[in-house]
Amino acid sequence: MRQGVWLFAWRAVVLTAALGASGASLARPTLNVYTYDSFASSYGPGPKIKANFEKICDCVLNWVTADSSGGVLARVQLEGAKTQADVVLGLDLNLMERARQTGLLAESGVDTGVVNLPGGWRDPVFVPFDHGYFAFVYDANRLANPPQSLQEVVDNPKLRVIYQDPRTSTPGLGLLLWMKAVYGDQAAEAWAKLATHTVTVTKSWYEGYSLYLKGEADVVLSYTTSPAYHVVAEGKTNYRAALAREGYYPQVEVAAMLKNAPNRALAQRFMRFVLEPGFQGEVATGNWMFPVVDQAQPLPAVFAELPQPTRVLTLPALRVQAQQRAWLAEWLEATTR
Amino acid sequence: MTKAQALADAAVRLAPALLGVGLFVLVGLASVAALWRQADVTQWAGYLAQPYLWRLVRFSLWQALLSSGVSLLLAVAVASCLCHRNFWGKEALLQGFALSMVVPTLVAVLGIVVVYGRSGWLNQWFGLELPLYGLLGIVLAHVFFNMPLAVRLLLQGYALIPGGQWRLASQLGFGRWAAFWLIEWPYVRRVLPGAFVLVFMLCFSSFAVVLSLGGGPRSSTLEVAIYQALRFDFDIGRATFLSLLQMLICGVMAALVYRLSTPPPLDVSLWPRRVPGLRDSGWARTLDGAALTLALLWVVPPFLAILGPVGSPTFMATLWAPATWRAVGVSLSLAVPAALLSVALGLAFAVGARAAMERPGWAWLPQQLEQLGNWILVMPALVLATGLFLLLRDAGWSAVPNHAIVVWVNAVMALPFVLRALLPAVYQYEKRYRRLYQSLGVRGWTRVLRDWPLLRRSVAQALGYAMLLSLGDMGVIALFGSQGLVSLPLYLYQLIGTYRLQEGASVAVLLVLLCALLFMACTRGIGGPAPKVGVGHA
Repeated sequence: MRQGVWLFAWRAVVLTAALGASGASLARPTLNVYTYDSFASSYGPGPKIKANFEKICDCVLNWVTADSSGGVLARVQLEGAKTQADVVLGLDLNLMERARQTGLLAESGVDTGVVNLPGGWRDPVFVPFDHGYFAFVYDANRLANPPQSLQEVVDNPKLRVIYQDPRTSTPGLGLLLWMKAVYGDQAAEAWAKLATHTVTVTKSWYEGYSLYLKGEADVVLSYTTSPAYHVVAEGKTNYRAALAREGYYPQVEVAAMLKNAPNRALAQRFMRFVLEPGFQGEVATGNWMFPVVDQAQPLPAVFAELPQPTRVLTLPALRVQAQQRAWLAEWLEATTR
Repeated sequence: MTKAQALADAAVRLAPALLGVGLFVLVGLASVAALWRQADVTQWAGYLAQPYLWRLVRFSLWQALLSSGVSLLLAVAVASCLCHRNFWGKEALLQGFALSMVVPTLVAVLGIVVVYGRSGWLNQWFGLELPLYGLLGIVLAHVFFNMPLAVRLLLQGYALIPGGQWRLASQLGFGRWAAFWLIEWPYVRRVLPGAFVLVFMLCFSSFAVVLSLGGGPRSSTLEVAIYQALRFDFDIGRATFLSLLQMLICGVMAALVYRLSTPPPLDVSLWPRRVPGLRDSGWARTLDGAALTLALLWVVPPFLAILGPVGSPTFMATLWAPATWRAVGVSLSLAVPAALLSVALGLAFAVGARAAMERPGWAWLPQQLEQLGNWILVMPALVLATGLFLLLRDAGWSAVPNHAIVVWVNAVMALPFVLRALLPAVYQYEKRYRRLYQSLGVRGWTRVLRDWPLLRRSVAQALGYAMLLSLGDMGVIALFGSQGLVSLPLYLYQLIGTYRLQEGASVAVLLVLLCALLFMACTRGIGGPAPKVGVGHA
């Protein structure tokens, strides 16, 4: 009986809250943007971008979040044609082809000529919003002779390495492609060599990075931009991104509009906004990635000190899509042998 | 009364129970059916032929058997010790034991690493570096999560030992060894299979712990493949297949284990339950001391590491942050209704099982009902949530608030624990009082009122477990989460996902403290005064 009363009370509360929320948004149209969790969290760039966009659109920007970029795409796919999403934000290079093939995305109509990515950007559907490079991060106080290349990470049997699982995490998949780009047909041997001094291979980025910060490894797979966080937010300068003489593998995050966007006009406006200062100005210190458009306001000084890639390695997206399974099998075989 | 009349009468009386069980089964089946429609069964034979799959299965089985075996072995020794000995802090220890399973996996892994890792306490203070990454780390973590849970489950079995038996043992001058085999073992044997299956299933489907501490892809479980299928390949068919395989393997394991279990001893004595002091011996003292020390060493240091941030400036700042309290609010708004719903479902199961007990032709039902609840454990949360999502989509109920979905899934996920807490007590009192109630015509509300004082502790414990699990839940919110639903665990992962590890660690402490508080509120507030587990003097 008591439980019944509680259930009823709870339903009443939820209903009131829902009515209240819908009442507030009745006046202005709502734009639903699906993204991954940390982007929209109060520590990510989400809240500021929302405020900046709402200033110019006379609308309400509603972040709908999933646990990861894979989760964002999965949710859109699950919802199919009945989706509530106007825009998906936060897919990366390696999810792009899979996303394109769902047939759920529309052409953006955005001129991406201003994009300053190495090699430019030409894609009718996806608009990039930030980028970075995968890199091994080390602690300069503890590692006197940091590796200067990917090969030095792989070859040094004394270097304790943590990386992420390519089956479950974006950086892990990034390393898989990086290794492939550097080693080609010799990737299997390189993986086997790396396995001899790998501490562990974690499910997600944050697990590996946390274990690393607890002192479990000499280097951890992360981004070239990671040290910027430690400098800006913590004032610590000892965390550095190791150089990679062979070249870095890039991570580019993109946004796309849905064909069945409930609010198409707003979605189109938002897609243009992605390349405007109101968005681009927030990604560096919000998402700890590089903006894709040159900014009038310079980035914090630390970003200039981060290693700049002399060479960028990128495998063609279609080849990645076609070969990913085989490369995963190769990695698995080499590391579990 | 004719037979048909009796049946109709029973159906009316059991209507709420049948409704609860029915709802559970219906939603479950419909979700599985929704997944099934996406699956291409013709490909399944191909999946079975992959050697990779069998490597995963083999490793999952091996680590789960080892982890649950160690957990239960230690738990039996500790439970016996806790039953017979009183010492300062025992109550607090038992309460603390309930908490280990809600510690978010990442936080527990970090706690273990702080103690046993390369820069850990063990290495710093004693110069001892363990080969943590591999089977050792996995077992360390799984025992940390599950041994305390197993101790609590076993103590529920101990609580059913009638006082008369203890008195007799004391009068006959039993030592601890004799008492264990002659008195405790029949009851331990009765709860052991259930506890084993529960712990085994939890370890079998463990994922992040196994990957983090496993030292490489050699240590991956079937759950990794399920996640991969759903998140990276978006292959619902394969995810469904793998989930069914996981359920099948655990089902076979459960069937084997339950086959070993004995029929519960019939106990109709009504002596007040007190455990008088038995003849003590050096051996008994040594064994008890060793078991307890080992358990404490296993569980307490990682906990201390987890509680490390208490009092630090970051902790205080996190405590003052409005976002933290918003997350606490969201967590409560999910956990409280989910726990109540879960206990309501659990009671429905219990009443159904009770009615079927010892009725000719229906005796199989109780165990099956118990199993039904267990299936949920091996159904990965992500798959469960996906099925429900598809079901709602196909039915066109997109207006069902995410909040309600998360509450339902959390309630269902907590059900196995709720059943563990409820069923043994319900069975026991049914056995003790059925004849009496029948002869006096006690039924309906009168019966509920009579049962309440006897069952309230179990109900409270069930509610506590359900509350803890829902508070700690992460998996479901991940798929259905929207900006309004940032619960405490999700907030924790948001912080850690944006480099804020210290803040994350502080939120973890807050989560553990909140769990402790709510668990105490449940067990003390609803369960009545502190339970007497141990030596009493009549």
